[in-house]
Amino acid sequence: MPPPLRLNAVAFVSPQNHPILIRTFAQPSQDELKYHYIAHTSLDVIEERIAAAATTKSTECYLNLLYTMEDVAVYGYITPLKVKIILALALSDSVVRDVDLITIFRAMHTAYRQSAANPFLKLDAPTEGINDHATVLLAGGAQWKGFRRRVDEIGRAVAAQGATSAPGT
Amino acid sequence: MATTSKQYKAIGEDIWKSRTEKTNTELFALTYGALVVQLIQDYEDYAEVNKQLEKMGYNIGTRLIEDFLARSAIGRCADFRDVGEVVAKVGFKAFLNITPTVTHAAAVPTSPSRTSATSNANASGASFTLTLDDNPLAEFVELPEDALEGGLWFSNVLCGVLRGSLEMIQMQVQATFTSDVLRGDETTEIRVTLVKYLEEEVPVGDD
Repeated sequence: MPPPLRLNAVAFVSPQNHPILIRTFAQPSQDELKYHYIAHTSLDVIEERIAAAATTKSTECYLNLLYTMEDVAVYGYITPLKVKIILALALSDSVVRDVDLITIFRAMHTAYRQSAANPFLKLDAPTEGINDHATVLLAGGAQWKGFRRRVDEIGRAVAAQGATSAPGT
Repeated sequence: MATTSKQYKAIGEDIWKSRTEKTNTELFALTYGALVVQLIQDYEDYAEVNKQLEKMGYNIGTRLIEDFLARSAIGRCADFRDVGEVVAKVGFKAFLNITPTVTHAAAVPTSPSRTSATSNANASGASFTLTLDDNPLAEFVELPEDALEGGLWFSNVLCGVLRGSLEMIQMQVQATFTSDVLRGDETTEIRVTLVKYLEEEVPVGDD
């Protein structure tokens, strides 16, 4: 029986290190700002890993455990276009399988891909700085409504999966 | 009636399967999306964009009907109701691989003295509504606020295609969207209304 994964938060960061979306799934009492901070810290760790991976010519997307802090374990994933996905899992004693995490990352990546394919995404961008794709990806925009919905669904699916695999009471 | 409907479905299925060069749905959806966005940037008026999409669809439809009739070898439709069935089960299936559901509505009789109801299906004003449960053109689309307010019908090209193709087989119709999931409605529906049957006309310029 796979141990339940408790997904606390997910963060998407653009190639220019601007936040695209930060979503928390844990109890609402949790401080959202804490996950912004976690995402920031992760960026440094990711850059280290990428630098290390570049020397070994690795094209691996999944970055595995980045670091742990207080009660969360942070995992990273980088898409081929350098969009970073950061998952914060509640720290638990049970073993967390790589394959489960990779599945979640792939689902998140797909959600991002589908939302980015929206042809109306660029309409809100300012006309200057056209070369910088990051301007169209800024967080909190109304155009990310569908993206938020998809990410929430993934969060719910993970939580449900965790609940069903827990021993029945 | 039921058997004819099944026959149409089978014909549509065959045409779709026998088509050797199929396009990638994502590429198709992305291309159409880019087209609509470009039109919006060029015209900046959503009503005008709707019109242009319809015009483009009209041009596509006039050519598409030839391809359709060649592939399907379907004979003349008995009445407008039949037209609706063929369009939904064979036409849409052959080109978009979707089968919208059809609901028919006979014409409202204009003169109350008309007692015979036999040819109502052919009377002008007869219509059918196509309900698309999934629209391959709008695969990744989320309409922004001002498009919603401006009244954009994203897939309006389909209305033009219907109008163009039916006009080439001597039927003048009006096709419009009545609801669209992209706008927040429950279903995506196109209503096609028969205006009149066209007489064979000598094309302008022929002597």
